[in-house]
Amino acid sequence: MTEALAEPQAGSPASPPLSRREFLYYLWGTSLALYLAGSAGALLFFALPRFEEGEFGGVITVPVEDVPPADSPPAEFAAGRFWLVNLGQQAVADPRQPEGLAEAPGVKALYKVCVHLGCLYRWEPTGERFECPCHGSKYLLDGAKIDGPATRNLDVFVIEAVDAQGNVLARTEPMDGSREGSSLPIPPGTVALRVNTGAKIQGASSSV
Amino acid sequence: MAIFRMHIPFLDEVKAKGLRQAGRAKADDLVTRVTAGLNPSDVRGLLRDDPAARPNPRLTPHAEGFWLHMRPTYYHTLVDGIYPTFRLGWLSTFFFVFEIITGVFLMVYYTPSPDAAYENMLNILGNVFFGSTMRDLHKLGAEAMVLVVALHMLRTFVTGSYKKPRQFTWATGIILLGVTLFLSFSGYLLPWDQLSLWAVTIGASMVEAFPPEVVGQTMNLIVRGGPEFNADGLLRFYLLHVVLLPLIGIVAFGVHYYKVIHHGHSLPPEAEKVGEDTAKRVPLDRRVYFMPRIITRELFYIVALVFLFLAAATFFYEAPLEIKADSLVTPLHTTAPWYFLWLQGMLKLGDKVIWGVIVPTVLIGLLLVLPYFEVGPSRRYGDRRIGLSVAALSVAAIAVLSFMGTPWYGVSTSAEQEAVATLLPQTHPGPVRETEWEAIELGTFTASQYTAAPNPAMAALLETFHAEVLKVNDAERSQAEGFMIVEDWQTDLRKVTLRVVWTNLADNSPGEYSQVTYVHRQAAYNRGGGS
Amino acid sequence: MKWQIAAGMFLVLGLIVLTLGLALSEMPRMELFKASNDARAVESGALLFENSCRACHGPQGKGIEGVAPPINAADLYDGSRLAAVGWSGTTEDYVRNVIAAGRPVPSAGTTYPQRMPTWSDRFGGPLRDDQVDSLVAFIMNWEDRALAEGGGAAPPPVVEGAVGTDLTVSLPEGDAARGQQLAEGALGCSGCHVLADVGPAWNAVGDQPGVGTRAATRFTQDDYTGQAADAQQYLVEAVVQTNAFIVSGYQANIMPQNYGDRLTGQDLADLIAYMNSLR
Repeated sequence: MTEALAEPQAGSPASPPLSRREFLYYLWGTSLALYLAGSAGALLFFALPRFEEGEFGGVITVPVEDVPPADSPPAEFAAGRFWLVNLGQQAVADPRQPEGLAEAPGVKALYKVCVHLGCLYRWEPTGERFECPCHGSKYLLDGAKIDGPATRNLDVFVIEAVDAQGNVLARTEPMDGSREGSSLPIPPGTVALRVNTGAKIQGASSSV
Repeated sequence: MAIFRMHIPFLDEVKAKGLRQAGRAKADDLVTRVTAGLNPSDVRGLLRDDPAARPNPRLTPHAEGFWLHMRPTYYHTLVDGIYPTFRLGWLSTFFFVFEIITGVFLMVYYTPSPDAAYENMLNILGNVFFGSTMRDLHKLGAEAMVLVVALHMLRTFVTGSYKKPRQFTWATGIILLGVTLFLSFSGYLLPWDQLSLWAVTIGASMVEAFPPEVVGQTMNLIVRGGPEFNADGLLRFYLLHVVLLPLIGIVAFGVHYYKVIHHGHSLPPEAEKVGEDTAKRVPLDRRVYFMPRIITRELFYIVALVFLFLAAATFFYEAPLEIKADSLVTPLHTTAPWYFLWLQGMLKLGDKVIWGVIVPTVLIGLLLVLPYFEVGPSRRYGDRRIGLSVAALSVAAIAVLSFMGTPWYGVSTSAEQEAVATLLPQTHPGPVRETEWEAIELGTFTASQYTAAPNPAMAALLETFHAEVLKVNDAERSQAEGFMIVEDWQTDLRKVTLRVVWTNLADNSPGEYSQVTYVHRQAAYNRGGGS
Repeated sequence: MKWQIAAGMFLVLGLIVLTLGLALSEMPRMELFKASNDARAVESGALLFENSCRACHGPQGKGIEGVAPPINAADLYDGSRLAAVGWSGTTEDYVRNVIAAGRPVPSAGTTYPQRMPTWSDRFGGPLRDDQVDSLVAFIMNWEDRALAEGGGAAPPPVVEGAVGTDLTVSLPEGDAARGQQLAEGALGCSGCHVLADVGPAWNAVGDQPGVGTRAATRFTQDDYTGQAADAQQYLVEAVVQTNAFIVSGYQANIMPQNYGDRLTGQDLADLIAYMNSLR
């Protein structure tokens, strides 16, 4: 084996054959490099925070009585970092709605952080829209971006409607492949909404 | 009995030469040891600036001593003046040390926890001798350091000093630039007030945009220690600020300065032939020796800078401290720290992934490897028109982008909110709070009738308010008017309501927006300055 | 080089003077900072009071009859209220404690049936410790004026021509707008029926209609225990004979029972007109 590798190439100065000692050094070095790379991966896991059930990052249960009425201003759930909105006919038919967004009546849990740079947007009753205090991105009740530096609609959390026995009756699904969570019409018999603040569906990009 | 005989050579010398002579010899010896090679007459010659003896005894400390062995024994006369270095590298080092010293003092009174950090700030400001001054110095030094390091890079580019053989020096310099920026940025979070939390939240939100999504979100979690800044994130930033980044900085600085000395300070471009590097070949008559000339100058600079900064911290500057951080409320008009405004400006150009992640990464990568592909041999200004134009354009672009990063560009919020925020901003005290308490008289005042205000301070407030309220009038709204209502609320406490009313043209309905604040006689927002 | 030596020496002299001056001014500076920091705590406490407390305790802390007791009153600061509840600490600690942890029993007898909720985030409330401290600073700032004014909780005013507790009383024409003002203002109805769910919500919530619609059929329900014969009488009864019928899920003796003495016929008519407008 060493002889085969030691074949000097034409035109270049003859290099000495690969000795066992040298080969072992290479092997050692390579294994060390592999181990260090693996350790770097382990370090990432070490630094990765984990969440318990019930706190933000886990599942938050909202009784159905706490859901705001259709087309009323959104309800803020500070502990879960989301706004619960209930879209009615009026919100769906809003003339400011961007084209191509097939929004249906139902409930959405909008992650309360602006998709632009992470500020917390607020509901402005005068304009009936969400406004971000940092750079002025604006969103409709359904989370559709209508103005500002943000480039997509608001992110939503996955909601599950559960009945008294704990069966899941309906769930938020992405409308656009993996993006843009649908609104969830509350099925009859629902007693609570389970908002999974660890499962976020990104809003679709918006060119408005 | 020989074990009990003590060996004290000094006694033998006293016996041989007498006490006075032996004592003097001992003192001389001590001086020589402390100065790592200069005896008292050498020291006096140095202080008198006598011509050095041959061989030059002033070179011994460079060879023998630890600190001076890092410094060159002489500079070329051509790099001894302000031009071409503008002393920017030296200044960067000065501020690095300055920040370490003031930072260590601040660490004495700091606990990196959201429960304690802000109260620590109040304690430093209200219950620690020189606490406020130390904080001002640390903050002021940090801002100066960012500026000086950036200028140092610009200067190195302009004089072409990054070219062969100094490519690697440049690359370590880029690392040091990054260390400086991130030191400043991570330190921004530590006071844990509204300003710091949200400025850093905005700055750190770029991490999340890193494609693909799962990588960005994981990196975001690792950097912040959670989905948003909290106890874990504060601790991580604190450790970055006081351990990891200084460590990287010290190591990178060591390599950087070793390379600088190894290759010599590059001469002004016009001083040498194209393609030659003569920095290390300094003729005898062009040498400026470190001792005494350069060390004197550096001592003078240190004293002057400390004086300058102490005076600034005492009379002009006060590091801001807003109310305690609240992760549920974002203040209106929050921006990233000024040295990241250009990044925020770029983000307004379009997609966060492209402008917030890809473009900056590519730019930094290009800077890092710049000397390895920009291999034009000439350092002369005349031969580098393209490079210098690019540098000038970059500076202009940074300036424009920084402006675009401010709230004055491309941010449209409701005019009525803007009008109120002009008087009651959420990122700094602002006009109402800074007005003398007694001048805010009780009553209801109409903005448009500012001339009827009871005193000049109120008139100024109302006039500003009026100018802003007029902007509410647009295609949909008219008859905008501002009101300022001041009520007596408690002992030494007044309630100020700023109200904007208008008429919606569509249906003639009235519109209204108002915000309330309270002002206390002793709040003293107007008394700035560290003393 | 000579000038650097000279200038350096003068700069060191300057540094000495500057540092000495700083040292001498540190005590007053720190005092000033503490005073201004305390003042700013009062300011932010005032804002917190505006947002969280005024709905029940009134804009100036004078209390709202039937909802929450006055805190801008002398008896809180002169020790008599502390003695009444058996608190042995200071007023400041009492205030901080009640804000942070709420009250396990309703305060000051039966006039205030609603319990003080917990506000500190240690007990499930929304406020951080420093915010509770700011609120305390604001409330304690009432002390001197409250003591100067004297008096405790004012007794409920005697109303001329009170409507009484008769269900069949004939009422004048009601004005819903004035009814709303009453409900949100002096009477404090909205404290329990709109802002909190101590009493049944008046507004429509989810698939449950507003109080006006519910009243129209409530008296016909099987579990109804009152005497009302029509919707109007039901609402009169709900206001003036509060324990006649308790909506399921709510408790008796929560709602004050003295509205018959506090309302005129016109007041009651206006209130009912407002409730009827909430469908």
